[in-house]
Amino acid sequence: MFKAQRLKANRGRALQFTFEGTTVTAYDGETVATALLAAGVTAFNVTRGGEPRMPFCNMGTCFDCAVCVNGHSLVRACLTDVSSGMQVNRQEGK
Amino acid sequence: MHDLGIVGAGPAGMAAALAVADMGFSVIVVDEQARAGGQIFRRPPEAWGERHGVYRPYAWARDLIERFEDHPKITAAFRATAFGVLRGNDKDDRASLELAVSSPDGGQRVSARRLLLATGAYDMPVAFPGWTLPGVMTAGAIQSLIKSQKLLSGKRVVLAGSHPIQLILAGQLLDAGADIVEIALARDLPGLKEMARGLPAVPGHVSIFTEAVRALSKIMRHGVPIRWRTVVSEATPEDTGLRVRLETVDPSWLGTGESHLHEADILVLGYGFTPSTELARQAGCEMKWDSAGGGWTVLHDARFQSTAPDIFVAGEPTGVAGAERAWAEGHIAGLFIAASLGAKLDDRALSHSTRRLIRAGRFSDVMQTMFEPKRKALAELSRQDETVICRCEEVRNRQIEDALQNNPFIQSVNAVKLECRSGMGVCQGRYCEGTVAARIGNAREASIEASGYYNAHLPVKPVALQVYRDISKD
Ligand SMILES: Cc1cc2nc3c(=O)[nH]c(=O)nc-3n(C[C@H](O)[C@H](O)[C@H](O)COP(=O)(O)OP(=O)(O)OC[C@H]3O[C@@H](n4cnc5c(N)ncnc54)[C@H](O)[C@@H]3O)c2cc1C
Ligand code: FES
Repeated sequence: MFKAQRLKANRGRALQFTFEGTTVTAYDGETVATALLAAGVTAFNVTRGGEPRMPFCNMGTCFDCAVCVNGHSLVRACLTDVSSGMQVNRQEGK
Repeated sequence: MHDLGIVGAGPAGMAAALAVADMGFSVIVVDEQARAGGQIFRRPPEAWGERHGVYRPYAWARDLIERFEDHPKITAAFRATAFGVLRGNDKDDRASLELAVSSPDGGQRVSARRLLLATGAYDMPVAFPGWTLPGVMTAGAIQSLIKSQKLLSGKRVVLAGSHPIQLILAGQLLDAGADIVEIALARDLPGLKEMARGLPAVPGHVSIFTEAVRALSKIMRHGVPIRWRTVVSEATPEDTGLRVRLETVDPSWLGTGESHLHEADILVLGYGFTPSTELARQAGCEMKWDSAGGGWTVLHDARFQSTAPDIFVAGEPTGVAGAERAWAEGHIAGLFIAASLGAKLDDRALSHSTRRLIRAGRFSDVMQTMFEPKRKALAELSRQDETVICRCEEVRNRQIEDALQNNPFIQSVNAVKLECRSGMGVCQGRYCEGTVAARIGNAREASIEASGYYNAHLPVKPVALQVYRDISKD
């Protein structure tokens, strides 16, 4: 599977959140989509048909990046900024 | 109550906001993104300490963004999604329009005397076997991740589509260190005659051509193959990434059966853009079919007023025509909105912007004709029974074909939606409408236009239950 790569940039301060209970390090100003792509996550959500989905448009129109954030479902990872201590989970049966 | 509420802080929304705020009216702008700029001027987050991104070749962007951000009469809310337009009781003889807005803090109603929908465009979807796989992404996704998040989505990249943005993007990918396996473009290399017809586009747009030449020379320096008359016809998952099948097409973009395979981490799709019109549809604006302009566009008059009272529209929803034209449309719309609120129409500013509009139009007309997607041919790429047409509800081609065969009276995308749920999912049909319309057109020997467009209802983008509760409070 592919893994995205952070390019050189002055990022914000480092912070931690969890995805499926595992700690992920990200930087202030990043979106949840960026942080999960860089962490090598291979399914943001799983469709009712059992297919893994990942960001497709990165502009809020397709909903393929949907995750659960702090208990709220169907949150678009590409439009959500990371914050320290955030609990992100895979969305099942989008 | 604000004088004007705007959805979208791209070039169109920003130009309109400034035109209206400069006359002393109050303006509120909502946008889902983190900062102003729209799709074209996506820039790194504020927390990274840089005010600006790279806006080449649009030198005017810097000044536009600064004036917009610093204007005392403009309030802007980011990470805020407008999910519906509400029309309330007219109190005090004033039109009462409200935007239903959802943000991480909850729901809110924003009222304004006039609304401007400047919602931009998104990458045109083209379905084919494997287009829902992880690693298949749109040009807009790859570009915005590089520009605003400094993230390279994968190392080995295949680009496929028909829009010249693929060449600009290839240049950006090479700068970011990607290995481009191949660039596949559906159309033929433009011939001399076609180039000559394109000449009127040049004056005033030299910097755009310079940018394209810069990207092309980078592509050549890296020895990246560009294959014309080629489309992506299939992607399959592999342990190490994607296997991508590229197929040669004839001049009408129909497959010839001749194909070759590549392995890649990322497949980038770029066929052009589709106007974002769901809010306009929900608000009751009449639509107009314009294939070269990206599909369904919002009908408007010379003042950029839609057919729905007090609702204006500017930028890509009137037809995808690029950043320059979006700016000019936004500015003109702003001048007329200010006039409708009681200001004197600024004739000098209007004639200046109209000249810019016409100049930008010469460029976009040529681009639109040169790169208009052949929609019916592209829709043939999803003809296999099991190919997913509606990504959200996972409706497959077979179900749509069956519905059309079993119900000879089905003539519209809305009827197909009721019959097999395509377009009922979370994206609200944005990604299947075109393919379904082409299928109907094909089955009934009618134009794509004749199958109409999906109706849009509040919420045009799904929101949490709490957001509804919030907006129901008085
Ligand atoms: C990836 C990409 C690359 C492009 N490259 C070029 C280029 O090189 N040259 C060129 O001329 N054109 C380019 N375009 C076309 C481009 O869209 C326009 O040129 C320009 O950005 C249009 O300006 P606009 O103001 O109409 O819309 P946009 O700039 O798209 O702005 C629309 C804004 O509305 C917001 N929005 C939409 N719906 C909602 C909602 N419901 N709630 C809240 N906010 C909402 C979006 O977040 C967005 O910020 C590109 C487009 C894309 C997608
Ligand atoms: S990737 Fe499409 S909505 Fe987030």
